[in-house]
Amino acid sequence: MMKRPVFPFVAIVGQEKMKLALILNVINPTLSGVLIRGEKGTAKSTAVRALADILPAIEVVQDCPFQLYPGEDLEVCRGCPQIECSRRVLNHEPIPTVTRKIWVVELPVGATEDRVVGTMDLEHALKKGEKQIEPGLLAAAHRGILYVDEVNLLDDHVVDVLLDSAGMGVNTIEREGVSFSHPARFTLVGTMNPEEGELRPQLLDRFGLCVHIAGITDPALRVTIMERRLAYDENPEAFCQQWEEASRQLVAQIETARQFYPRVTIGQPLLYEIASYCLDVGVDGHRGDIVILKAAKTLAAFAGRLAVTKEDIDTAAELALPHRVRRQPLQDIVVDVRSRRQQVQGTA
Amino acid sequence: MARIVYPFAAIVGQEKLRTALLLNAVNPACGGILIRGEKGTAKSTAVRALAALLPPITVIDGCAYSCDPDRPEEYCPYCRETVGRHRLVRRPIRVVDLPLNATEDRVTGGIDFNAALKSGQRVFQPGLLAAAHRGILYVDEVNLLDDHLVDIILDAAASGWNLVEREGISFGHPARFILVGTMNPEEGELRSQLLDRFGFCVEVKAETELRQRLLLMQRREEFDADPLGFLNRWQAENDKIAQQLLGARLWLSEVVFPPHLRPLISEICLEHQVAGHRADLIIEQAARTLAALQKHREVTEDHIREVAWLALVHRKRQTAPLPPQPPPAYNQQHAEPPEPPSDQNQEQSHLEPLPPQDGAPEQAAATASEEQEPPELAPPAEPRDRRDTLEQIFAIGETFKVRKFVSPRDRIRRRGSGRRSRTRIAQKQGRYVKSTMVIKNHDLALDATLRAAAPHQLRRQKSDNLAVILKPEDLREKIREKRIGNFLVFLVDASGSMGARGRMAASKGAIMSLLLDAYQKRDRIAMVSFRKQEAVVNLPPTSSIEVAAQLLKEMPVGGRTPLAAGLAKSYELIRNYLLRDPTGRPMVILITDGKANVAQGGQKPVPEALALARQLAQEERVRYIVVDTESQGLVHFGLARELAQALGAEYFKIEDLNADTLVNIAKENLS
Repeated sequence: MMKRPVFPFVAIVGQEKMKLALILNVINPTLSGVLIRGEKGTAKSTAVRALADILPAIEVVQDCPFQLYPGEDLEVCRGCPQIECSRRVLNHEPIPTVTRKIWVVELPVGATEDRVVGTMDLEHALKKGEKQIEPGLLAAAHRGILYVDEVNLLDDHVVDVLLDSAGMGVNTIEREGVSFSHPARFTLVGTMNPEEGELRPQLLDRFGLCVHIAGITDPALRVTIMERRLAYDENPEAFCQQWEEASRQLVAQIETARQFYPRVTIGQPLLYEIASYCLDVGVDGHRGDIVILKAAKTLAAFAGRLAVTKEDIDTAAELALPHRVRRQPLQDIVVDVRSRRQQVQGTA
Repeated sequence: MARIVYPFAAIVGQEKLRTALLLNAVNPACGGILIRGEKGTAKSTAVRALAALLPPITVIDGCAYSCDPDRPEEYCPYCRETVGRHRLVRRPIRVVDLPLNATEDRVTGGIDFNAALKSGQRVFQPGLLAAAHRGILYVDEVNLLDDHLVDIILDAAASGWNLVEREGISFGHPARFILVGTMNPEEGELRSQLLDRFGFCVEVKAETELRQRLLLMQRREEFDADPLGFLNRWQAENDKIAQQLLGARLWLSEVVFPPHLRPLISEICLEHQVAGHRADLIIEQAARTLAALQKHREVTEDHIREVAWLALVHRKRQTAPLPPQPPPAYNQQHAEPPEPPSDQNQEQSHLEPLPPQDGAPEQAAATASEEQEPPELAPPAEPRDRRDTLEQIFAIGETFKVRKFVSPRDRIRRRGSGRRSRTRIAQKQGRYVKSTMVIKNHDLALDATLRAAAPHQLRRQKSDNLAVILKPEDLREKIREKRIGNFLVFLVDASGSMGARGRMAASKGAIMSLLLDAYQKRDRIAMVSFRKQEAVVNLPPTSSIEVAAQLLKEMPVGGRTPLAAGLAKSYELIRNYLLRDPTGRPMVILITDGKANVAQGGQKPVPEALALARQLAQEERVRYIVVDTESQGLVHFGLARELAQALGAEYFKIEDLNADTLVNIAKENLS
């Protein structure tokens, strides 16, 4: 599906917060995504596309339309269009698998609902006279990244569908004569320009992290950006080669962090710190607490530590809370969570 | 099954929700639950977890409709045919998911394609309603469900029977299910018709206690790290609850309801002005069930008081205090000052004309709006034309829930996106609602086409490589429907006379409320204000309501009233819009007291404005709404009303905009 070179992730200048948020999600997919808010031309899309470079590999059943690992969900296999594969799985025979990088599946703003959730396979119905499912984008995005550019411009009913499956990790299809359900756990990455309108609250909450980015104001950095872009446009292959070593290092660091993560511990006082942070700034629901905990542990793992520190929590809160802080109707999203907390503590 | 759900026993807090779910699991007559609450409060988690605890039911082997062996009069064809040879099996109660993307044919059921191909006959294939019979029908985000699906579900839930008349099939089967829905009120409200179908309503909130939050975090993280291990650790606790449920089910028929307690229920219902009798019945059932859960032989007053709030929250009409006894869920919410933003942005779907107990549930959320009419509204009228040239900026007054403005639904197909008005859509976008035989834009409804062709296949000549022969007469096309936002122009009088006596604050409050409403409906808006000598476009057409709100906050007031100029300017905007989209139905909301005192031409200001208004009224595609800000004192001029007549506009006084005072007017508007 690809093989055209992409701008290397490590070659992106500045925008450290955005890069960090993306990396955290790669290390720990249960963080459930990141929303990138910012003006146009701030390397939002470049960064997400570049992610493909540094993603780890997963084991997938060969040609599986639902990206399952062997034996993940026999219910799905029972209704799967890949008849030979399905027969083998159900008879507990070994099946061929491949190891490939995690996919970044792009959901275009104009996508129709049937392409997103899946629908009836026309060709098969005509040729064989049988109903069969044709999986949609949500099936392709399972265990991967679902990327929505300009997510705030997405059609309302597509958002509804997205909410439905992002919440449950399962995509249930009951349409056009097809009745089927398959797992759809994906990391949701969205970019948006707030000038074009806000996101619906329920969808907002589905993004684990949220970062704001602005254009870089340091002239020296701006020059670097221009230079790198120019070099890339002139000769993409050579440019990518030049950054290959740095990419490889980052991939290795991510790999280590993934192994570290389950062993990272957090002390009781720090858990209190998380809970009181959320209470201080005023957050809807509990997802904020949970995401901070996960993000802080991931941060520790990424830094090669086995214990979470207070700083990890502060950084994690800044990523996890901006879009969750309770606000008055039509108020802007709180950008600076830290000072918000200080403010609250000051008045208390 | 490979899908592991979070165990019910491990849910932290949310006692009310757990009780409500357990009551329903014991006794289906409790009538289902609606779970309302902010995001991330374990709404869906709890429902899914419950499924794992449900006791089994007895069904007839091979029956696709879960027929009740004890009700032969309802048997499906299969069960009738095999009477006497039934093999009874027990299986867990099903929780059937109704996804938001469902199409009508899968909900009600339709023709079975495979069977039709093979036998050439129209065989009915049961849908979700059949699958949910004697089980639970679960709708996540139920407030986002399409109206036509809501209608189908309502119909089935009310009659306990699903009647299908489509695609050449005529069939009926029983469909009695427990309806469980979750919703986040921020995304819009539920129709009151549907609301009443839910036996219980529970409002969930996040825990505010530090220790609880801590526990919750830890458990969730434990679960995510090792789901299977977590489940195993909690298995014993879970089994205990399952046992308790099973016991309560058996116990239930033993529980006695002392007749002298019935008046108490009626009293509670009356006290809260509940409409209809459903609440009474449900409270009685719920009290019996609670007694059964606690292994009491007789229902007591305490039982009744403990469950009454479940059935009352969404049915009560007035803000009387709830039954004194347990969890003051509802009252607490009232008392809490920092309203979550959600509460006021609701979609006013409850203004559907039907039931009189309207609005009851929303009151829970819309608290702010109720008691607080825009405050400074009724002072005596002040001297005409105080032409103070002073510039002032007024704060935004109270906001409230706005009454519903929708365009009448018609058969014109449009383009666009949003949520205010439903319309048939000509693009290949929008929700696939149903199919038609009329072919227009080659948006083929494959499923319907195949179903139409299937019964004829045996008779048609087979070609080599296709299993299905399609003829032109089989072709069906999709009818799609979509909600589109409207284009709203706010035409605001910012002259000096508006500044008097806090009127501008109230007006700004009203505009803000309209903006909040527009936000929910995804409208495009523009804002024009007029003062001093001219009218200015403050905000060109945009979807960013935030910008509009900011502008509104900063809008200065002062100077004279060039009403005619304002009207002309708004028409310019509208005209451009209509050129681009001739099928559009823009709306102009004019907020003024009508006291024009600057003319454009040689005429007197007021007659000029009226004349212009009459001209504008000729354009039938534009709807005008006039909001009169003149105080209703001893002297008033009624100029805004005259203007409304000239425009052919709907006329409201500012306090009429409040949705809660408007149930009756809404009826007219909708019909």
